[in-house]
Amino acid sequence: MIRNAGRLLVKDLRLLVRGRALLALLVGYPLLVAVLVAVALQSGEQRPSVAFVNLDTSGRTVQVGSRRLGVEDYARRLGQEVHLDRLSPGEASRALDQGRVSAVLTIPSGFISDLQAGVHPPVITVETSRRSPIQADAIQRRLESAIFRVNQQLASTYVDQTLHLVQVLVDGGDVSAFTRSGHVLGLTESRRLVRDVQASLRRSGRADVAARLDPLLNFIVQAGVNLDLANAAAQSLTNPIRLRIPPPPQGREPLTGFGFAGALLVSLGLIGTLLGAAALSSEREDGTLTRLRRGLIRTEGLVGEKVSFAALVGLVVGLLLLAAVAIFTALTVDRWGLWIASLLAAGLAFGAFGVLIGALARETRTALLATIMLALPLIFLGLFTDSAIASGISQVFPFGPAFRSFQTLLVEPSVPGRLGLRIGQLLLLGLAFGGIASFALRRRADA
Amino acid sequence: MSTTTTGGPLLRGAGLAKRYRGVAALDGVDLELEPGGSLALLGPNGAGKTTLLRILAGVTPPTAGTLEGAGTGRGVGWVPQRPAVYQRLTTRENLRLFAALEGAADPDVAADRLLERADLVEFAGRPAAELSTGTLQRLNLGVALAGAPALLLLDEPTATLSPDQRHRLWGWLAELRREDRLALLFSTQSVHEAAANADRMLVLVRGRVAFAGTADELTAAYGVDDAEAAFLALLEAGA
Repeated sequence: MIRNAGRLLVKDLRLLVRGRALLALLVGYPLLVAVLVAVALQSGEQRPSVAFVNLDTSGRTVQVGSRRLGVEDYARRLGQEVHLDRLSPGEASRALDQGRVSAVLTIPSGFISDLQAGVHPPVITVETSRRSPIQADAIQRRLESAIFRVNQQLASTYVDQTLHLVQVLVDGGDVSAFTRSGHVLGLTESRRLVRDVQASLRRSGRADVAARLDPLLNFIVQAGVNLDLANAAAQSLTNPIRLRIPPPPQGREPLTGFGFAGALLVSLGLIGTLLGAAALSSEREDGTLTRLRRGLIRTEGLVGEKVSFAALVGLVVGLLLLAAVAIFTALTVDRWGLWIASLLAAGLAFGAFGVLIGALARETRTALLATIMLALPLIFLGLFTDSAIASGISQVFPFGPAFRSFQTLLVEPSVPGRLGLRIGQLLLLGLAFGGIASFALRRRADA
Repeated sequence: MSTTTTGGPLLRGAGLAKRYRGVAALDGVDLELEPGGSLALLGPNGAGKTTLLRILAGVTPPTAGTLEGAGTGRGVGWVPQRPAVYQRLTTRENLRLFAALEGAADPDVAADRLLERADLVEFAGRPAAELSTGTLQRLNLGVALAGAPALLLLDEPTATLSPDQRHRLWGWLAELRREDRLALLFSTQSVHEAAANADRMLVLVRGRVAFAGTADELTAAYGVDDAEAAFLALLEAGA
């Protein structure tokens, strides 16, 4: 029986290779998916275009510390997050309507003077496109992030300026801030002067008058001590909470890894299930299923053969795809032994799922249509398992565990033990679906 | 149900029955076939002919009854009404594959022999999908012969063939019977075809045996000269 399963496997592979269009589709389709995912990821990393409308034509600047800042300085900093396209209000509105820009950012008139006065913070307006809400949401987040960073830099500069003023209050010297300038005596010099006056009074026998100056001296000393503490306090006020994100290891960038694990899942999930379903249902369509089941091969053997066929093709296509990823992207593809184990386990589970559909459907067209209709939502469920219900459902189908196995191998620097559990889960799912397929096939044949 | 292979008749079935969701498709059918013999199954549509053939071929198990003799299991060559071959494999590849699956020591030699036996040598390299209906039916028969069976079960083998193709097919089957002492059990809608090519007839009506015997016995039973007239009279009596 095993030899006969092998003979049928060779027959299926021969038919696959003979059908050149199908073979080209099998190799071309996953590569196409990989390229599309790569393009999608690349476009995600590009800066979106935003129209920049500057209504503050005063040309004024604001002195912050030792620097003078104008609208152009703000624009330059925002330009690090988005691509700014300088337009008039009318042009910007048309560009937004035509989809040439994703948002319009307007600097109001009087922006610099409001900033300078410091009474009311100036308001920057961002209008996003209603036609692409997802992109608009992303741009809104980027601009919020950019404004936050600019504000943080400004706050930091203001704090530095304030600390400089504090230092002048302590040590004395010339000061210039917020349009005012002048000379400050300083606490150190004040303390020296008060002590000199006290000493002079005591020498002239007026100790009682000198003692009356003690509270002033204490105030000066205490003020100096407290102002010394202002430096650390101001620094912690500027950055009350700091965020540290360790950079991912070289070649294991999470977003890229997610994208290619998804591309692998879509490719292999569709190939495995479609081949499993088609291989079995085409036996029925050719009428050979009845012939085979007359003692030439056991039902379980036939199901196992079809599942193995789907898994083998999936393995070859998966390795080709990984080789392309290794050659054409910065992702690290290594641990080939684990990759082969994961791809085989996933292929067996996908194939068994497809064979089950093939066993239940009466004809090949129905089987293929049912496979696509079932596989696609389950693939997406496997990709995005945020809710408990979605996660629970994805556990009983092979797509979720397969995706997480692929993602682990692409992203994790060291392989966690749960990869073995996922491979085991895939094998169990393959056995379960294969068992149900055998039962369904026997029931249908006996009916 | 029990299946044994003992001496005596090539095939003996007793009390064969099949029920689909409680409905009887076949009910207590007995039949017997000697080595090299031929039996035609006749009956209106839905009489249970195909169900009986599928049970005899081992495609579906009977709900009740016994089957015994060398003409059971792997000793049977199955020729379904619609050719059961791989459409995208060539004629030779089909014969070679089924010879290998049947356990032929040398599948290549077996395939060459089957190509000659079924008169398919000139079509050896043609995919089955490109064969004419008659040639495809010969391939269907050739595949059934791959296991060197003692009995060929044919489900309406000439249903889709033209008159000349039918004539050639029956001539070839007669040759197989003569040379290989191959027994035939076939279903047909044609009483004349049954009378001309079978030693005996089994008429099924609503899953039960309405007549078992030779064409002469059938005509004698109804006092007519023509087997078809006798068959129609039998159906009328049964109705």
